[in-house]
Amino acid sequence: MNQTFPLKSWVKQQANRFAPALFFIGLVLLWELVCQVGKVPNYILPSPSAIITAFFNVEFSRWMTHLWATLRVALMGFVLSIMIAIPLSIGMIRSELMNRVLYPALIVIQSTPVVAVAPLIIVLLGTEDPSRVLITCLITFFPLVVSTTTGMLETPPEMIELSQSLRAPRYRETWQIRIPYAIPHIFSGLRVSITLAIIGAVVAEFVAAEEGLGYFIQFSTSFFKIPQAFAGLIFLSVISLLLFKSVQWTQAWFFPWSLPKKK
Amino acid sequence: MESIEDSNKEPSKQAAYVSFKGVGHKYDPLPTAPMVIDSIDLDIHRHEFVAVVGPSGCGKSTLLRMVAGLLIPSHGEVSVFDRPVTEPRDDVGIVFQKANLLPWLTVRKNVLFPLKHKYGSYSANDEKRANELLEMAGLTQFADKMPDELSGGMQQRVGIIRALLLNPDILLMDEPFSALDALTREQIGFDLLDIWREHPKTLLFITHSISEAVLLADRILVMSKRPGTVLDLIDVDLPRPRSSKTINSPRFSELADLIRGYIYEPNVPA
Ligand SMILES: Nc1ncnc2c1ncn2[C@@H]1O[C@H](COP(=O)(O)OP(=O)(O)O)[C@@H](O)[C@H]1O
Ligand SMILES: [Mg+2]
Repeated sequence: MNQTFPLKSWVKQQANRFAPALFFIGLVLLWELVCQVGKVPNYILPSPSAIITAFFNVEFSRWMTHLWATLRVALMGFVLSIMIAIPLSIGMIRSELMNRVLYPALIVIQSTPVVAVAPLIIVLLGTEDPSRVLITCLITFFPLVVSTTTGMLETPPEMIELSQSLRAPRYRETWQIRIPYAIPHIFSGLRVSITLAIIGAVVAEFVAAEEGLGYFIQFSTSFFKIPQAFAGLIFLSVISLLLFKSVQWTQAWFFPWSLPKKK
Repeated sequence: MESIEDSNKEPSKQAAYVSFKGVGHKYDPLPTAPMVIDSIDLDIHRHEFVAVVGPSGCGKSTLLRMVAGLLIPSHGEVSVFDRPVTEPRDDVGIVFQKANLLPWLTVRKNVLFPLKHKYGSYSANDEKRANELLEMAGLTQFADKMPDELSGGMQQRVGIIRALLLNPDILLMDEPFSALDALTREQIGFDLLDIWREHPKTLLFITHSISEAVLLADRILVMSKRPGTVLDLIDVDLPRPRSSKTINSPRFSELADLIRGYIYEPNVPA
C-alpha cells in the first residue's frame, strides 16, 4: 500500500502477522525475568525454564502412559455422548411428547454439578474406565443436544414443506434435510464438547485414578513438585487445543460447505 | 413428459381443473379465531397461468398450500380434476421465494433431489432428464458447481427446474422472483413463459409486482386484505407471445392501473 517505503510497510505487515506469537513469546520471557530477578521460589511460581526442565525429567513413556489414560477416557466419553445426544435430539425434534418429557430431565441433569456427583458414580460403578467415561459423558452431552436440536429447528420451513409435498418418509426428512442443515450447529457443539471431555476425564481422575494427566498433576502437587505439575498442566492444555483443532479440521475436510463464507 | 401427450383423456382446456369452492380457512380452531381467507371461489383451467396479487398476509401462500395438499381448508373444498385434495399431491411442483437449494449438494444433485428424497435413489435416465433440464435453463456448465457459486438468478433457475423434475402438471410459485434484481427478474419471467409454452402446466403464480402479474398471466386474482377474499378476477387480454414490447402497449397500463386501484383503495367492491 505504501509505495514510498516498501521496506517499512513490509516490516509492518510481518509484525502484524506474527503479533500473536510475539506477544506470547514476550509474555514467557517476562515470566522468566520476573522469576529470575525476583527470586520467586519454584513452589510458588516456577519459571518457564524450570517447567521445561521438569518436563524432560519425566520419562517419555511415563508421559505417554498418562496421556493415553486421559485421552482414552475423554474420547470414549465424547463418542458415547455423540451416540446419545444425536438420536436423543432427533427424537425430541420428531416427537412433541418426547420433547416435553425429556427436556426437563435434561435440564435437571445439566444443573447437577457433576463434580459433586462424581464420587457417587465411582462408588456405584467402581474405579475403572466405565465410571470415568460416564462422568465425561455427563459433562459433554448437554451442549451437543442443545446445538443439534437448535440446528435441526433452523431448517427452512420451505424445505420441510417440499419434503411433505413429496410424501417422503420421515427418516429421509431427518437424514437428507434436517441433519445436514444442523451440521454447522452440531460442530459448534462438538468443539465445546471435546474440550469439556478433557475436563470430564480430569475430574474423574481427581476422584479416583492411578494414572492420567489429571492424576499426574494432582500427585505432583501433593509432592510439592510444582514445576512438574505445571509441565503436566501445559501438556494437558496443548492436547486439549489439538483436539479442538481436530474437530475444526474434521469439519473443514468432510463438510467444507458448512463453514462460514469468507468475504 | 408423457402426461402432456395423453392430454386427450383430460378435460378440455376450458373445464375447471383446479377449483376452489367456498374456501375459507383459520389456522386456529377456536370459534372466535379470525378467518385468514374467506369465501374464495375460483376455477383455474388446465394449463392456465393464474397470477395472485394482494397485500401481505392476505392468505396467498395459504391458497397455494391448499392446492399442494399441504393444508386442508377448514371451510369449503379445493379440488383438482373434480377430486378433493386431501393429501400432498404427486403432480405438483413448488417454487419458493428463496431458491432453497441444499448447500451440500451440487447443482445437478439439487435438481435430482426430489427423486432422491422421495424414492431414495435415481436412475441414469433420471440423470439424463436432469441434464436436459439444466440445458434448458442454460446451466449445463454449472451442473457440478455448488449452489453458493451461482448468482441469485441462476439459483432460482435451479429451483424452478427442480420443481419440474417430476414433470408436475401443476406448478405453484410463491413470489419466486421477489429476491432478484429488476433486470434478472424480467429476463427470468420471459424464460418462464418459454418453459410454460413448451411444457404446458397449470401455473399458480403469487407475486407482489403488479406489472409482473400483467406481463405473465392469463388471469389475475386480486385479493383483499385479511381476511383474504376475491376482489376481482381479471382477464389479461394481451396477445402472446409477450415480450418487453408488451409493457409499452396502452392495454398493459390500463390493466395495471385497474389492479393498482384495488390495491390502494381496498374498499372498492368487486
Ligand atoms: N402455519 C400458520 N399458523 C398460523 N397462522 C398462519 C400460518 N401460516 C400463515 N398464517 C397467518 O395467516 C395469514 C396469511 O398468511 P399467508 O398465507 O402466508 O399470507 P401471504 O402469503 O398472502 O403473505 C397471516 O396473517 C399469517 O400470519
Ligand atoms: Mg406468502
